[in-house]
This record gives sequence, structure tokens and C-alpha cells, in this order.
Amino acid sequence: MLTIYGPQHRLCDGVSRRNFLRIGALGMGGLTMPQLLRAERQAGIGKSEKSIIMIYLPGGPPHQDMYEIKTEAPSEIRGEYKPVKTSVPGIQICEHLPLLARMADKLIFVRTIVGAKDSHSSYQCMTGRLKDNPPPGGWPEIGSVLSKLRGPAHTAVPAYVNLSPPMRHRPYNFGQPSYLGAAHTPFRPEGDTREDMTLNDISIDRLADRRALLASFDRFRRDADQKGAMSGLDAFNEQAFDVLTSSRLLEALDLQKEDRKIRERYGEGTPQHQGDAAPRLMGQFLLARRLVEAGVRCVTVSFSFWDWHGKNFDRGRDNLPPFDQGVSALVEDLHQRGLDKDVTVIAWGEFGRTPKINKDGGRDHWPRVSCALLAGGGMRTGQAIGATNRLGEEPKERPVHFQEVFATLYHNLGINASQTQLPDLANRPHYLVDGYQPLAEII
Amino acid sequence: MTVHPPNSLRRASLAGVALLWLAAWGGTEPTQAQGRSQAQNSRNTRRPCSDGCVAQVRTSGKRTVEANAEPVRDRVSRNSLPESGSSSPSFDRSQSLLAREQGRISSPLPDSKADDLIQLTFTRGGGATSLDSNAEVVLRGPQARWQLLVTGRSSAGQLQDSTRRVKYEATPPGVVAVGETGWVTPLANGTARITASNAQGLTATTTVTIREIDKPQSINFPNQIVPIFTKAGCNSGGCHGRAAGQNGFRLSLLGFEPREDFEHLVVEGRGRRLFPAAPEQSLLLLKATGSQPHGGGQRLDKDSPAFGLLYRWIQQGMPYGDATDPKVVGIEVAPEMRLMSHGETQQLAVTAMYSDGSVEDVTRLVQHESGNRDQAEVEPTGLVQAKERSGQVAVMVRFQDQVAVFRALIPHGAKARPSLEVKNFIDEWVVRNLQTLGLPPSGLCDDATFIRRTAIDVAGRLPTPEEAKRFLADLDPNKREQWVDALLASPEYADYFANKWNAILRNKRRDETSIRGNFLLHSWIRQSFHENKPYDRFMREIVTAAGDMSRTPPVAWFREVQQIEDQVQDTAQIFLGVRLQCARCHHHPFEKWSQQDYFGFSAFFSRLARKSGSLAGEQAVFHERGVAAAVNTKTKLPVKPTALGSAAFDLAPDQDPREALADWMASKDNPFFARTLVNRYWKHFLGRGLVEPEDDMRLTNPATNPELLDALARHFVEGGYDLKELIRTICRSQTYQRSSYPNEHNSADSQNFSRYYAKRLNAEVLLDAIDQLTGVPTVFPGQPAGTRAGQLPDNSFNTTSYFLALFGRPNHSSASESERTDETSLAQSLHLLNSRSIQEKLNSPNGRAALLARDASRTDDDKIRDLYYRAYSREPDRTELKAALDYLRSKSEPAGRNAGQPTKKVEAYQDTLWAMINTKEFLFNH
Repeated sequence: MLTIYGPQHRLCDGVSRRNFLRIGALGMGGLTMPQLLRAERQAGIGKSEKSIIMIYLPGGPPHQDMYEIKTEAPSEIRGEYKPVKTSVPGIQICEHLPLLARMADKLIFVRTIVGAKDSHSSYQCMTGRLKDNPPPGGWPEIGSVLSKLRGPAHTAVPAYVNLSPPMRHRPYNFGQPSYLGAAHTPFRPEGDTREDMTLNDISIDRLADRRALLASFDRFRRDADQKGAMSGLDAFNEQAFDVLTSSRLLEALDLQKEDRKIRERYGEGTPQHQGDAAPRLMGQFLLARRLVEAGVRCVTVSFSFWDWHGKNFDRGRDNLPPFDQGVSALVEDLHQRGLDKDVTVIAWGEFGRTPKINKDGGRDHWPRVSCALLAGGGMRTGQAIGATNRLGEEPKERPVHFQEVFATLYHNLGINASQTQLPDLANRPHYLVDGYQPLAEII
Repeated sequence: MTVHPPNSLRRASLAGVALLWLAAWGGTEPTQAQGRSQAQNSRNTRRPCSDGCVAQVRTSGKRTVEANAEPVRDRVSRNSLPESGSSSPSFDRSQSLLAREQGRISSPLPDSKADDLIQLTFTRGGGATSLDSNAEVVLRGPQARWQLLVTGRSSAGQLQDSTRRVKYEATPPGVVAVGETGWVTPLANGTARITASNAQGLTATTTVTIREIDKPQSINFPNQIVPIFTKAGCNSGGCHGRAAGQNGFRLSLLGFEPREDFEHLVVEGRGRRLFPAAPEQSLLLLKATGSQPHGGGQRLDKDSPAFGLLYRWIQQGMPYGDATDPKVVGIEVAPEMRLMSHGETQQLAVTAMYSDGSVEDVTRLVQHESGNRDQAEVEPTGLVQAKERSGQVAVMVRFQDQVAVFRALIPHGAKARPSLEVKNFIDEWVVRNLQTLGLPPSGLCDDATFIRRTAIDVAGRLPTPEEAKRFLADLDPNKREQWVDALLASPEYADYFANKWNAILRNKRRDETSIRGNFLLHSWIRQSFHENKPYDRFMREIVTAAGDMSRTPPVAWFREVQQIEDQVQDTAQIFLGVRLQCARCHHHPFEKWSQQDYFGFSAFFSRLARKSGSLAGEQAVFHERGVAAAVNTKTKLPVKPTALGSAAFDLAPDQDPREALADWMASKDNPFFARTLVNRYWKHFLGRGLVEPEDDMRLTNPATNPELLDALARHFVEGGYDLKELIRTICRSQTYQRSSYPNEHNSADSQNFSRYYAKRLNAEVLLDAIDQLTGVPTVFPGQPAGTRAGQLPDNSFNTTSYFLALFGRPNHSSASESERTDETSLAQSLHLLNSRSIQEKLNSPNGRAALLARDASRTDDDKIRDLYYRAYSREPDRTELKAALDYLRSKSEPAGRNAGQPTKKVEAYQDTLWAMINTKEFLFNH
């Protein structure tokens, strides 16, 4: 694995050397990246089991207290935490993330995410777009796009599953229909859908009777169908019966089926909602792993509450260790199962936090820069991308727009985001990202 | 030349000359995107052409040729190459030259058709209308080209393209060169007579005159260079045409702004993009040919005419052209329409008309795009090939900011029954279309299907068992019409259509302050349908609404369309079927609307002002005195109110310009207003618009039956915009009453209405139907008891009702009916098969299952029949009855049951209802 330390070398017109060589290599052969991927796919290289797990950190985690302690800043900005060395020489992260530090060679710390707006909402993290001027129908979340473009990797599971329970602060919630339609909203094995998944008031035998009766009644000619709606319905009914009787999906959602030792490795956490956001359940990371193994294409989890306007460092001490435990367990687990090339993990929130600590010992909103943690996906891990200035106010080098992160996520799934189009409800085509390219340092 | 060198040497020398010739004149062959290289080779290299044949050419020293240089697949062209020296050598040279120019013909041309022809004609003249076969064809200058079109007529009267199935001869020789594809290249001044002859000996002749052969035109950047970027895809929305450009180089989208493109190319980039002293070193050419790393790959071939033209343009110092140079004012494609069989090809010829009256062939300069690649594909040379799927397909042709369209009709081929019943003018046009396509329609649906279908489509409900029984027993020959009339008079009709319009008029619940407006608007819409308000008045009352919403409920529409852009875009989309959005920032990519058109339309809403309404949080809308104008953000100049394609309106400051807009929309000759409405209603009843999508009417998206659309619109206008009458007319037609079961021929038809297209019941109708069947209505919070899902006044019930949101009820966020989806999903299946809410309806002690189980006065037989009438409006057949009765019997309670438990009989009825709900016959409107 190629590791890069510190800043990139740049040529005079701003093109990085590595970039240039890469482009050169492609251009000479006359094939562009999409063609390569297409050719790869045609040749059978490049699997179709790629998936992503997105861990949303509602509220905006403090970027300077996680992956880049500002040791050179005065104490009223630096705060209480100290950096520790990681398994990658030259990268140091917060002392309260020791397990992640130990496996930093499997991680990518993006320290300079830009482009955010000061708005407490999952919108940007989920759709890769800002909320202003959405197109007719609304921007789709990455899970919906994957559901549309790829579908699930296995027919008995949905393509996009959202494990987040409803959060009290409404804009944290996601899973709305977009211009891709209601069929691509996430499957939430919570609430109404979860209720529908377990047999209601009838026994499995009775369900079998009903099913047989339905078969004898349902003799309407399928060739009257014109758009494939009837066959679609039949297919989903089959899947539904699978879910109701014995199923891939239900088993995947059953944590009890997992080895106790592994469950303990992830940790318990607490089901109590933190703040007006999500519970702190590391078990959901384990569920996510099980779901992608079962063939789900995108699993989203919301973890705890990070909008610490007061008592930043106390709350960090409460939240960072569980985060550390859960994410490190997940990444380790994926590596052990050989899923690290296929599954991309990303953990991030909607913005960073103020450099200056306020009078309540907390930090306020700081959309100018934020952070993200990436792993898996066949990326070149063991890197820290970008660096903020001395006070952690803005990127000193290598700002990363959140759409670049999205381009990277799509790339890991074999999709060229700036070339792939989907039309909105007014039939205007939109690219998945607007011209941003995947992070060349890691793909 | 009087010496005849040996064949191989001759061909080699020809090849060498060909290269020079092409380089000098830019040739005629447009190059396609990466992956297709020509048979020609660059000097001293050996390169296989994409067909696998190989040619080797050296320009100095020994000349050898390995194999044929023509594409191997082109059997026809090889046959027509002169083998002997019968014609003069210069003709020879040009022939094989042009043989290589041809580009690929993707499939061998079937010769079988040729026997059928009785006449050949050249069908393209040189006049301003390209179909004017009498006008002389005059080509000026060495760059001019012409695509000949030869059409054969069969004994049955059918027209067929013979352009590539004939041999061309021009006399006197040396004036023009004509290739096998009918492509004419000028060689010398004079007039040539061209004869086309086919294998049967039929001939046709035409003349072509060449002038000014030695006067090459100066290159005009907008007319000649910019189209290269469009055709090669450089300025598409995915590459350099996007708003931010690509990798630091920006072009205007699809070449709509040539001035800007000139700036970007010539002035920007420190002048490194173009290098007149050594044009081949220009970054533009290096990247375009892939010689330097280029994210877009190779877009041009070094040997292509486009490359040659760019080369010359750079060499000449990048002229822009004179201000007096003629501008393109329109393009036309010939033929405009053709019947094609599967696999058949049709050559297109495109003519550009200029502001000075001149015409030019631009067939190989325009961008050709098929509307549906499953049905037809088109090559860069303008050759359309029909594929295996029957139906209608449009091929769009784009040149600068002009578009034109070619329609191909690909018949199924079966013989349609000669006498098809025709009830009204709708049937006449549909039948005519079906006969042309050879698509036999299915028969009519039975009474049970009819009564259920119409009850759903007109009133959003299922017929009651009493209604169904009465209808089936009725012997009156007019019962179908009477039933439709009864539905139209019922309150459910008003509910159902109010629900439809409520969504696209964005009746959205935002917070507590919007509630009154939601109710007012919904009631007003419903009342309009109930009293059958003429549609033009309905539109007028919405668009010109003013004052407070308590007095004028349609003012509530302006709540959701707050910005002027929303008002413009919604009005255009809902009432005119035009998606004007694109034209706000640039010229519309698929239509003729420019930014000037957009802002002209905007001006109608420019005097709209708001103030607080009578209730907190509400707004009132009024006309603010002043001159109506909108500023074109591109030119920065104000634009007077101009409706689409109309002249500018001169309005007094105290005239509300919206009134003028409403007048224009409702005028009898308005080409959009009536057609949009009838198309929308056609889609409502028939499942697919004549123009699809129904709010995207443009030249490049033609109707599948334009005559029917026009006839419906005319009928609607002449009848006074009477919506109920329109519905009556549609429901009365045989077309609407066809069965959804296909015959052996039409199961693949999804465009031509040879049968009814079954569709799943939408969310509200389905919920109401389930409620009806189970006898347990859904309770909606804040609504009076007995309110059906179809009567809900706004979108807020989507949050409280999982069912409605799950089954695609729209959120009232769009002016497009496509916000409602009927796509199926796993969650929906789970819900219908297993949800608690449906279980509760089934299990309710006062529900249908319990009532039937308790009812001792009727037999199981009767009860099952009743259920069938309730769900399907018909009798069960013997098998169905037996299956149901067997099930009931199998579940009969054992002796000595516990009195408190629900009896097995009840469970059996619950199961039966459950099964009926989940059948396709219930879930679909068929």
C-alpha cells in the first residue's frame, strides 16, 4: 500500500504530479477511467458486491478534537485533549481514540472538508448536496442512488437500509423520497416497516394457508401487464414472504445470531437517545456489517449526538471511546472477513466546531472546516488528507469538498459520479456530483 | 492520365493522393468518438482499421498495398467500385476515394425489397424546403456537399429509401463525385446530370450545378467550427459545456453562445490552446486527437474532415467570420416521416437555411440523436436503422440552436382486421394508426371490467355490489354511456379530480398558518369540478387570482409559487405542457426556447406583489401598477411580456399582465393550452399520454398520433372547454373500452393503444378500496368521520398515514404528476401481506369478515358471490367458487369450541378477504 506523508508535490499549474502521471497513463492508451471500469466489468473483473456503510454523526463533531489536535494553538483553542501516535508515522490523533490509533494504517483521516453550511441536518452528508434550490422532487441520498443504479446485491434484501431511529430534531432525519421516487427510499426495519416484517397476530401455518389461497385466487392474466408492474409486484411479494417466514434479512437483523465475543468487541452502548439526536448503539455497526454481508448496498447509521455547545471535553470523553470501540471493531471485522475491499465505511457529520472554546467549555458551529473518517473500499488507507491552519480554522492545505468525498464513495462502488446522470421530475438530467473527482490520494 | 499503372500501384497512389486531398480540403467524413478509426493510415504506420482489414501505405519509396482499404462489411460498395478502367482515371480516383470516405454501414442492406419497386425518384431538391424536388441543387465553393436522397415506390404505394441501393453515375465526368451513399462532392464548375440506377434497371435523374469551385469560403466560426464541438460532444453538459467547464476549459452548452466560445478558445488560456504557426501543436488539436492526455479521450480523428477544418481555421489565424456572414435561421430534415420495417435503413438529409436565403447541406455536420435506441439507431452520417421493436420513434437533429425531428414508424407487420369498429373520431384516428402499423387491437372489455374501470378512472372508487349487479343485468344498449354520465354527476367525480389537481397546484401544508388556505384551495378546486366550470375559466381564475384567499381561494396557489421563476415554470408546465426551466440559464437544449423567451414569459408575472392577508401568516396578492417587464439575465436588457412565440404585449401600467397571459392561453388558436389538457386527460384514462411525459411537449418529443391530439384539442375548444364532455368522449370510444388482454400480436405495444394498459390503483384509491372491502374505514386525524383518502385536502396526511406515503401519494411538491409513483417495493408488499393496520381491518368485530361469519341468513355461496362483486364487480366462475367454498369448509370449526375465541369461520373469511386484497385483479385497474 502506498502511503503519502505530508503535502503533495505540485507542478506549477497546480496539477499534482501523481495526478498528471495517472492522467497521462490513461490518455496514452486512449481509454478514460469510465471506459476502463466498463471494460473491467465486461471482463468480469470488478465485483458487484460493493457496498457502503455511512455513520452519520449528528450535530457536527469537533474536528480539532478528533483527528488533528492543534498542538501549536494556545490552550483556549487547543483544549484538553492530547494527541497520541498512531500506527502510521507522522499521523497523530486524539488520545481518546486509542483503538483507532492502533489501526490507523487501515483508516483515512480527512481533516479538511469544506463546502458545508451552518445547518443542523443530515442532508449534506446523505445527498452530497446543499439544501438550497433542490430540483423538482428533491436531491436523492446516496443510498437511493445506489438503489436505483445497482439495486441490492441479493434479491432477498432491500438495497438501502436505514438503521437510524426517528430523531427528535427533525432535520437530522433522512430517508425522504427524492426525484428517484418513493421506491428508493430506505427500508427502515424500525417503526411501521419493522412491524410489518414480523408476523402480526397470525401463525406461520396460517400464513402458509393464506399464501396457498392467494395462489388459487390470483389467476389474473399476467400478460395484461404492460410495464412489468405485475411481475414487479410478484417479485416483491415473494421477497416479502421470504422475509416473513425465514429470511436473509431477518437473520441479518438478528444480533443474537452473532458470536458473543464479536458482539462484545463492538460494545453495548446505550439505546437512550443522546440530546435530540440518536442513541449510542455500537451494535448497529455490527448490524450494518451483517446487512452488507446479506447483500444490502447502503446501510446508514446515526450515532449519538455531537452538538456540544457546552462541556465539550466531558462529552467527548463520553462519546469518543464508544465511537472508538465501535468503529475500530467494524473496520477490524471487515478486514478479518475479507470485506475491506468491497465495503466502504465513512463516519462524518455536517460541520466542524469553533476553534475558540466558549464560556461553557463547549464549541459552537464551524462550517468552514470539518472532518471525516474513511476505511475499506479498496482505498489506500493509512493516510491523513489535508491539514488545517495553526488554530484549526480552515484548511492550510488540501481542502476537500464534500462532493469529492461523494465522488470517492461512488468510485469505490464502480460508478463514475461526474459522468453518471439521473433525471429529476422535470426531466432535467443531473450528475451525481458536479464535476468533482474522487480523492486521487486514496483511490 | 493515359497510362494505366498496375492495379496495386494505382490503388496505392490513389491512397496517397487521397490523404493529401483529404488533408487539403478537409474531406467529407465526420469522425465519431473514440474507438472508430478510419481505414486510412498515418504515414509510415500500419494500423488495422476497426473492421479487421489492414492497409499499408508508404508515401515515399516503394508503394505496397496489403489488402483492400474499404471496410470489409460494405459488400455493396465493393460491388459498385469500377474494376476495369471503363471510366476515366480521374473518376476512378474519386470513386475509390469516396469509397473510403463512407464510414461504416453497420449492417448489410437487404436486397430483397428492391424487387418490389416500380419507381425511383430523387426526392430532395435544392430549395428552401428540402422536399421541393424541383428546385435546382446548386453547390457553391469547394466545401459544399450534398446528400442525395433516392426514394423508391413499391407497387403497394409504400415509400422506401433506396439511397444506398443504387449506382450513381454523373455526366459529364469531373464535375462532381458521387459516392455509394449518395454523397456529392464538387470537383469543377459546371452542371452534372446524375443518374441513379438500381439492380432492376429503374432509373432516376437529377442535376447538380457547381459554382465557384476555386473560391473557398472563408471560415465562419459560429457556422462551421462550433458545430464540430457539438457533434464531437465537446460542449455537452457532461464535459466542457457544464457551467464550470472541465479542467479549466469552458465552452457554452451545445454551442449556444459562439462569441463566448471564441473568447474561451482564442483569448483565454494565454493563447496556448491554438498555435497558428504550427496548428498541429495546438493544445486543442493535441487533446482532441488523444495525442495528449485528455479526460474525454479521443474525440477527433486526424484524418477526419472536422480535424482538417479546425486545422485550417487555426492556420488562417482563427477568423471569427464577418458580421455580414449569413446566420442559420432554421433546419429541415428530409424525409420528415417514414414507415420502416425491422432492420431497414433510411438516409436522412438535413438542410440549413440561412438569413440571406441560401441553403446548405449540413447532414454530416449536425448531431443526430435517436429518441429510443431500442427502436432505432442513427449514425453520424444520418443513416437511421430501425431495430426489432415496433412502434414510433423520433430522431432528433441538432445544429447550433436549431432542432428538427424525423419520425420513424416501425410497423408490427401483422394485417390489421379491415373492418374495425369506430364509435367516434378518437377511434378513427387510433384505428388509422393501428392499420398503418399493422397492429391488430384487442377486443372490447366485458361489462364487469368496464364498470370497474370507469368507476376507478372517473370517480376513484370501486362500484358497489348493487351497482355492479344492476349493470350486468341491464339490457339497455346505452348502459355504458349512462353509467359514465352517472359517475360524472356524482360527488366522487369532483373529489377524485380535485385530488389530482390539488397535487399539481401544490396545495401543501407547511404549518398551522397554512391550514385555512389548504382547505380553501381544495374546496374551491373541488367546487370547480363539481359545477363543471369550463377549463379556460378554471385556468384564468388561478393565474389571475388577486386579493385575499378568503375571498378568492386560488390566491393560495401563490403561496407555494413564491418566486417569479416558480410562477413561470409552473404555469408553463401545468397549462402549456412546456418545461421552460432549462431556458432560464441557457438556450433550451431540445426546443427552440431561448432565454429571451423565458424572460418574456416572466414579464407577465413581474407586477405581482404581496401583502399580509386577513389572517396571520397568510398573504394576499395584487397587481402593482407599473410597466410589466423582466430583465434578461444574459443581455441585461428588459423584456416586455411575450408569450411563447407571440409578439410582445404592450400593456398599460394598470393592466394586470396576467390577464393578458390568460387571454392568450385561452384563445382558440393557442397551440399549447388545449392540447396539454387533452393530453393530460388522455394519459389519465389511457395510461400513457399521446405525448409522453404529458407536460413535456416539444418539437423533439412528437406525439405518437399527432392528428388525434389535434382532433381532441379542437373538439375540446369547440365544445367550450367542457371537461365532463371530454371525459364522456374518451370513455365512449372503443379505444378506451378495449380489453387489457393482448392478442398474439400486440403484447409488446405500449404506445399505440391497441389495448388498455393496466395500472395499479393509486394510493388513495387503493386505501379506499380496501376500506370498502373490509368494511372498516380509515380514520384521518382532524377530518370528519367518513372522510375517504381521496377527499383529503392536502399532503400532510402522508406523514400520519404510512399507507399513503408508502404507496406513493405525492407530497404536493411538484407541478408534475410524476411526483406520484406507482412503483412497487418490498415495503409495500410487506404492508399488504402482513401489516397490523390491514390485519385490524380484517379482524375487526364489525368488519366484513365478522359480519359475513355471523350472518346466518345467507349461504356461503351467496357470501362469496357478494365478495366477488365487491372486489371485482363480477360473478366468480365455477373454479373460483369451488376454491373459496372448499377453503371455508376446510376451516369449519370443530365441535365444542371455546365461545370466547373467534370461530374458525371468521378466520376463514378473514383469510379470504386477505387473499382477495392481494390479487392482481384487485390491486390493478385493468
